[in-house]
Order: sequence, then structure tokens, then C-alpha cells
Amino acid sequence: MESDELLIQPSSAEPIYRQIAQQLRRLIASGRLSPGEEIPSVRDVAGSHAINPMTVSRAYGQLEAEGLLERRRGKGMVVATQRGRAQSTDRRLQQLQPQLDELARQARELGLSAESVLERLRVLLEADQ
Amino acid sequence: MNAVSAPETIDPQESAVICRNIHKRFGGRKVLDDVSLSIPKGAVLGLIGSNGAGKTTLMRILVGLLMPESGSAMLLGEPALQMTDASKTRLGYVPQQPDALNWMTVESMLQFVGSFYPRWDSEYMWNCLMRWNIPPSQGLAKLSPGERQRVALIRVLASCPELLILDEPASALDPVARRDFLREIALRAGEAGMTVLFSTHIVSDLERVASHVCFLHEGRLLLDTAMDDLKETHARLSLSREAAVGLSKPLPGEIARRRRPDGGVSIVLTRRGLAPWPSAATASGGTLEAMNLEDLFIEITDQPGAAWFLK
Repeated sequence: MESDELLIQPSSAEPIYRQIAQQLRRLIASGRLSPGEEIPSVRDVAGSHAINPMTVSRAYGQLEAEGLLERRRGKGMVVATQRGRAQSTDRRLQQLQPQLDELARQARELGLSAESVLERLRVLLEADQ
Repeated sequence: MNAVSAPETIDPQESAVICRNIHKRFGGRKVLDDVSLSIPKGAVLGLIGSNGAGKTTLMRILVGLLMPESGSAMLLGEPALQMTDASKTRLGYVPQQPDALNWMTVESMLQFVGSFYPRWDSEYMWNCLMRWNIPPSQGLAKLSPGERQRVALIRVLASCPELLILDEPASALDPVARRDFLREIALRAGEAGMTVLFSTHIVSDLERVASHVCFLHEGRLLLDTAMDDLKETHARLSLSREAAVGLSKPLPGEIARRRRPDGGVSIVLTRRGLAPWPSAATASGGTLEAMNLEDLFIEITDQPGAAWFLK
């Protein structure tokens, strides 16, 4: 994985450390980052996005505490071998819950039917495959 | 971790800057009104304020170029007005419009200034001049404002300061130079422990690199928090005119309230850590949403008598 694959939006209401942690959680949950795989160093991520290295460390520290990442001597951080395998559909859906709540709220405000929103969503999801 | 903490909890060994109860007036107008802050070593503190908020005055007082009416400022363990020459080589300061030594060429100025600094990094200086397209033999007076600002940043970064104070450093930089400069600050702070104070009204620069944020408004410090906490502990509750009728009293954790042009009301709430928002807010019929820095700045300062909720 390259550090510029992370998407960082400094002006988002979500703190940068959480943006990083969430993206890595999703990549690990889906299995796109496999157990033992090295993730970019704090310096690489901070340098390529011009963000504070402490912010990156905080995200990595949190994932390490959750058991998703491990510190390897001489290698930096890698995806944990124990829990790094893909998680159940339920667990992965759980991670999308805040975004789904927000989508549902906005759809209701706009008076959109469930069918029309789901149809758009399906097109988006399938277009990416 | 607050950038501004109660004076008794500040450890002078751990802080690169400590100022207490600074007051300053120009021609009877209050420019700084009881400003206290401390910056932990290795922090990048962004000072946000509109034009005329007092940012430049505060920075000039901190580096000892201006005397406060009352209050004290300490830098790197020494009083700002009596810093030794040795300590001054550990301090870097770039004013908003750098115009010193204007009769010299870029190269002669940088070499002259560099001779005063024991840790001067010539290699960095030459790399930056090339990367940022500055002709070394050009006279400083002939440079554009953007080029002049780039030279000033090269000068200060090549001196490898422990404490860097920058007044609107990125305002005249193009996007590439700006990104380079932000990267340099972020990495030096995070890896070498350099402490940075910079003022800006370009909030997105600050959201990238700052570890701490302060709002300066009409001469008072309104808010100071670690950047990540700031976004997690503040939210905006937006209410329609009808829903606002039932909420005449302040809500728990309310720090600002303003009436919007459409008759609705915006309320800024704070909480401790990730505690749940007060039920009165979630049950009010309004929408509760997280805010970025710019939203928060506007909500907090765009109201009469904004300074009422200090800290």
C-alpha cells in the first residue's frame, strides 16, 4: 500500500486521525490489506499529505490498541496476523452505520423513496466492480 | 492537552512559549485584552483570527519587538524582552511583510544572515532556492511579494530554529510552495520537536499541520484546544424558528448561540471527550452536526459580544 492511497480531507468535520483509522479499518476488514502486510510509515503518510506526524501516530496507535496492527522490529507497522483476516459481513456493515444513518436522514429530508435511493446506490456500488 | 492552561499547571521546562495576562492598547483602543497562553514543546499552534484581531501584535510582543502594557512573555525560558544572543539563534520569526536588508541580493543576504547561526543548513537553503525557483543573484527589492516571502521562509528554516513564529506565512505562496512549506513544518515539529506558532486566516492550512488551535477575536483568546479534540467535542445544533421557541434557556454545554437570517437559531455545544450529547439537544427537533474549523470559527465569532464565554 502507498501512503497516497489514503484520502485525507483536512476540512472535513472528522478529525484527520479518525479518517486514517477508518480507512485502514475498512481496508483490513475487507481483506484488501492482508495479514502481515506492511503499511506506510508515519513519516511517509505525514510527508505525502503534509500533515502532522503526531496525527498519523495517533491513528496507528489506536489501531494497534485494537489489535488490528502490530509493530514489527525493523519493519514498522504491519497488519496483525491474528485478527487481520476479513471480518464478517455484520462487522463490516457496522462500520458503515454512521454514514448510512446520515444518508437515511438526508434522503428523508429530501422526501426520497427508499427504492429510488437504493437504486442509485446499487448503480454506484456495481459500477465500481 | 490544552495549549492554554491554568498558570499553575504550566511546566516551564515543557513549554517553548509562556505568556501571561498580556494587555496592549494602541491610541486608547484595546488590541490585546488579558491574553495568556503556553505552547508545549513540539506543538504546532495555529492562531486564527480575522484581520485586526490582534494576531500580529501578540506575535510582536512574544518575540520582544513590542512592549506589552502589562503581562509577561517568556520564550525558550527567557523573558522576551531580554533574550540573549545565543537564545535568539534558536528562535525564528517571519513577519507578515519581510523587508529587511532589501538592498542585498538573495544569496548575499542568506549567506550574511546564515553566518550568525551556528546550525545554519546551507544545503537546505540551496535546495529550497532551486525548488522554489528563486534566482540567487536577484536583488531582494526586485522580487515579487510571493518570492520575498519564500526567501524569508528559506532564511528562517535554514537556521534550524527550535521555536518558529510566523505571521501569516503562507498568504502569498503558490499551492506547490505552500504544500512544501507545510510539509516541512509538520515533519520538523513531529520529528525534531520544533515548536511552531503561526497565524493565519487560511483555515485549511492549519487543519493539516496544527496540533493545537487558538481563536483570537477582538483581542481576546476565545478557544484553545488540541485540534483533534476540537472537532470531536464541538457540534452545531440547528433549529428552525419554531423549534427554537422552546429553548430560550442555555443548554448544557452551550458556548455560543446566534440567530440566523432565516429566523432559525444555531447553537454551538461542547462535551467532554466522546460523552453523549445532552438529551435536550437530541430531543429538540433540530439537527446536530459536526463542524470543521471554519464553521466553528464563524459560529463563535459572528455574534455581538462574542467574548462572553471565555474558556
